Amino acid sequence: MSWLSRIFRRRELFNELAEEMREHMEERTEQFMREGLSRKEAARAARMAFGNSTLIEERSREVWQWPSLESIWSDVRYALRQLRKSPMFTITVVLSLALGLGANTTIFTFMNALLFLPPAVKDGNRLVEVMLRDAKHSGIEGYMPLSTPGYYQLRDHNHTLNGFAAFDGDPRPVSWNDHGQGQQVFGQLVSGNFFSMAGVTPVLGRDFAADEEQTGASHPAILISYSFWQRGLAADASVIGRVLVLNGTSYTIIGVTPPSFGGVVIGSRPDFWASLAMGPTLTRDPKLLSSAGSFWLFGMGRIKPQVSKAQVQADLDVVSNLIQHSNSHEKLEAAVFPLQLVPAPFRIYVTAFTGLLMAAVGLVLLIACANAANLLLARAMTRRREFAVRAALGAGRFRLIRQSLTESMLLALAGGAGGLALAHWSVPLLLSLKPVNIPVFVEAPLDWRVISFAFMLSICAGLVFGILPAVRAPQTEVSLALRDESQIAGRRRSRLRDSIVVVQITVCLVLLISAGLCVRSLFNARSINPGFSTHQVALAQLDPESLGYSKVQQKQFYEQLLERVKALPAIGSASLADSLPLGTNRSVHGIYIDGIAQSLDKDGIGVQTSSVAPGYFAAMGIRLLAGRDFVVEDSQPDTTRVVINEEMARRFWPNRNPIGQRFKDGEQSVEIVGVVTTGKYRSLGEDPEPFFYRPFDYASRGFLVVRGEGNTQPSLDAIRRVISALDPNVVPMDMESVSEYMALPLFAAHTTGVLLAAFGGVALLLATIGLSGVVSYSVSQRTTEIGVRMALGADRSTVLKQILGQGMRLIAIGIVCGLGVSFAATRVLAGLLYGIKPSDPLTYLAVSLFLVAVAQISCYFPARRAASIDPMQALRAE
Amino acid sequence: MRNPAPRDLFPGALEMMILESLRRQPAHGYALVQHIQQRSKNLLQVEEGSLYPALQRLLKAKLVKAEWGVSATNRRVRTYQITASGLSHLEKEISSFERMFEGIALVLNPGKTPAN
Repeated sequence: MSWLSRIFRRRELFNELAEEMREHMEERTEQFMREGLSRKEAARAARMAFGNSTLIEERSREVWQWPSLESIWSDVRYALRQLRKSPMFTITVVLSLALGLGANTTIFTFMNALLFLPPAVKDGNRLVEVMLRDAKHSGIEGYMPLSTPGYYQLRDHNHTLNGFAAFDGDPRPVSWNDHGQGQQVFGQLVSGNFFSMAGVTPVLGRDFAADEEQTGASHPAILISYSFWQRGLAADASVIGRVLVLNGTSYTIIGVTPPSFGGVVIGSRPDFWASLAMGPTLTRDPKLLSSAGSFWLFGMGRIKPQVSKAQVQADLDVVSNLIQHSNSHEKLEAAVFPLQLVPAPFRIYVTAFTGLLMAAVGLVLLIACANAANLLLARAMTRRREFAVRAALGAGRFRLIRQSLTESMLLALAGGAGGLALAHWSVPLLLSLKPVNIPVFVEAPLDWRVISFAFMLSICAGLVFGILPAVRAPQTEVSLALRDESQIAGRRRSRLRDSIVVVQITVCLVLLISAGLCVRSLFNARSINPGFSTHQVALAQLDPESLGYSKVQQKQFYEQLLERVKALPAIGSASLADSLPLGTNRSVHGIYIDGIAQSLDKDGIGVQTSSVAPGYFAAMGIRLLAGRDFVVEDSQPDTTRVVINEEMARRFWPNRNPIGQRFKDGEQSVEIVGVVTTGKYRSLGEDPEPFFYRPFDYASRGFLVVRGEGNTQPSLDAIRRVISALDPNVVPMDMESVSEYMALPLFAAHTTGVLLAAFGGVALLLATIGLSGVVSYSVSQRTTEIGVRMALGADRSTVLKQILGQGMRLIAIGIVCGLGVSFAATRVLAGLLYGIKPSDPLTYLAVSLFLVAVAQISCYFPARRAASIDPMQALRAE
Repeated sequence: MRNPAPRDLFPGALEMMILESLRRQPAHGYALVQHIQQRSKNLLQVEEGSLYPALQRLLKAKLVKAEWGVSATNRRVRTYQITASGLSHLEKEISSFERMFEGIALVLNPGKTPAN
């Protein structure tokens, strides 16, 4: 009989047993009746002879039950009773663990969202993502999307995929003319088979037809996302067939995707999907579909049954070789990855960043475990008698260890539950750290992976902090414990606890130093002068061309806009630029300067540039050092005037007046009319870079830059009103103040600074609890000793100094170890730090002193208690 | 109903006696109690409180098997029968018990050789 069928047969077994016992009793009754008793007397005698039939039945049943399971339950009940008896201990341990486990669960929730959550597609493990790899570059630089012709060739010539779809990697901002009001929405271009390949069926309407990708341009159609339907279209039940005007073209809504589907790439939540045929219209790039040199599509293929991913890779290698022969492009290979929310080439960066954070929270958990272990050890000492009595009564060593571990597990699981609650609260808080102006949408649900992670980690933590106290406790000599020779056993035990505290201080110092470095780096980054003023300036991105404005109309629009904005009250200056420093788009021009040895590259010397309208320098707070600003006349099409920055003047015309000098910007010879201060253009950490400004041509998308008068911040609402009065269809995108704009370049520094500071704070709190717990426990153990000393003449300050000295010794050892470990460990932070070395001595010194001070305070209170021991009482207690 | 100085059997003794009784002939619970009592000349009193858990243990270990049937007195009873593995288990137990008994006897009566 297998154990499984035994479970199902149990009831039958028990019924048989009951019947058997009844028959037994009956037989005995008859026996007694034969011996001359009446039936009633005989039944009574039989019952007496048989004994307690319920108990017998129960014990017979026990044979078939699981003794381990049932005794574990009794262990649990016993442990719960014990924990209830010392609530302070229980609360301290559970809170410590909840903090440690909560920090881990929080970071894991993000790791899960970024690395483990599968896209909401059908049979996602049979889907692959296809990109191109350029062997010339390494790392992420080497990967790029497919071109449209490349996609079609891979689709038509492969032999290993059951269908091959394509999607635009970056959803595009599109302006939606909603009854005369402009709104920004995001659209993703996809191949006609995209939804059927992903196994996504619209909840309303239909999917794209197979030929829509080719013929779609004649009758533009879109599918909309569920959330856009709810949010933007008020969940209109008759939405199918409705027409939306997007970037000036009318599109018919043919379907609504299910609520679970948010695209196949993390961070982007497209509001609508249009077929590739609409690409040139939507992006205003007429060559988008024909150019073999514009790489913008990600491939998504479904592997044929019985085909491996390696076979797909080999197959696509062959096909992509053919492509290269046909258009003689550089060496590009197909790269096949599993379809994941974060595409494979980017995963290493995500893994590195979340891994760093996981390491930090791992250390926090280590400190929390050390706390728990220490408190358990101290408690084991006070419970020595209990264990000794149980051992004397025959409880085996293993049984006692199991009992201790049960308690640790309960504590750990309670801590884990607390940690989950903490994560439930802290994950949304962390999500809100993301600058609002980044159009990235990350969902970090507390799903089953997070819950199992929290559960597994709790179990591991329970083992880590529980095993030592559990194994040490039953070792006590029974006779010794019963006689209460606490001093003898106490010494050895306290060495163990002392080393745990040293480890805590070490780990705490490492975390605090890392946090200190990141926080100082954040302040450094904040105080880096970006070369433009970060206050009193408002920005808005405008794209009138998307509404079909001609060049003349655009110029008119921009001129009227500047005029009206300048007329607003309390506006100092207003101007336009095609790109902003520290922004996401930048351009580099190759220039040639007479008399300067041409760089080896035939493309000239690469210098960054942007085009700006008159008044830009004043509006951005960039100081003019020599010459003049642009004037309106400079913006004529055949313009030849530029303004350069100080670094460019210093580098190319040293000790000469750059004003009036000429150089060639590509083919065109230009004249320098002004010099401005050098700023930061790509990142806050960069060294001074040469940069030149060209006049704005009033015929492209542009950033409006508005500066308030004096110290006033210009009103975003007033500017918005001006724009919509000019043309309600023009949607100002990314409308914000410069200080909001600066959140993006500061994001990495800000996040690591805030997170590590928070983890450092938690670590400090936990280590303080641990240290003060150990010191006060040792005080309580040494009450008699201190009493004797004081009776023999030691004064209070001597006792105080001695106890503080004991704490200091541990702190000092911990700090020395911590400094060493930090020196090695903080190297991994080097890439994240602005203007500070990982081995910055000032941070090390300041953080160490700070930790010493806090630790001293945490020792002071127990030491005070020791000093106030009344010798008479202490001795009487003996 | 009890002996003047009741003494617990050592672990496994009851199982051994049950198996020995069943080796001679299959029996149901009540008959086993009677049989052991008679064979021990009333020296051993088997309590139902021990018998039924012991029988369940033997069943679980597959040393005996049980079947419902009708007794000589025309009563529905569950008759136990020793299995092959029960037999070999019994032999092992008896020989180890005999060695132990021999040892105990030697210690208790150093002069005599044990009557075997």
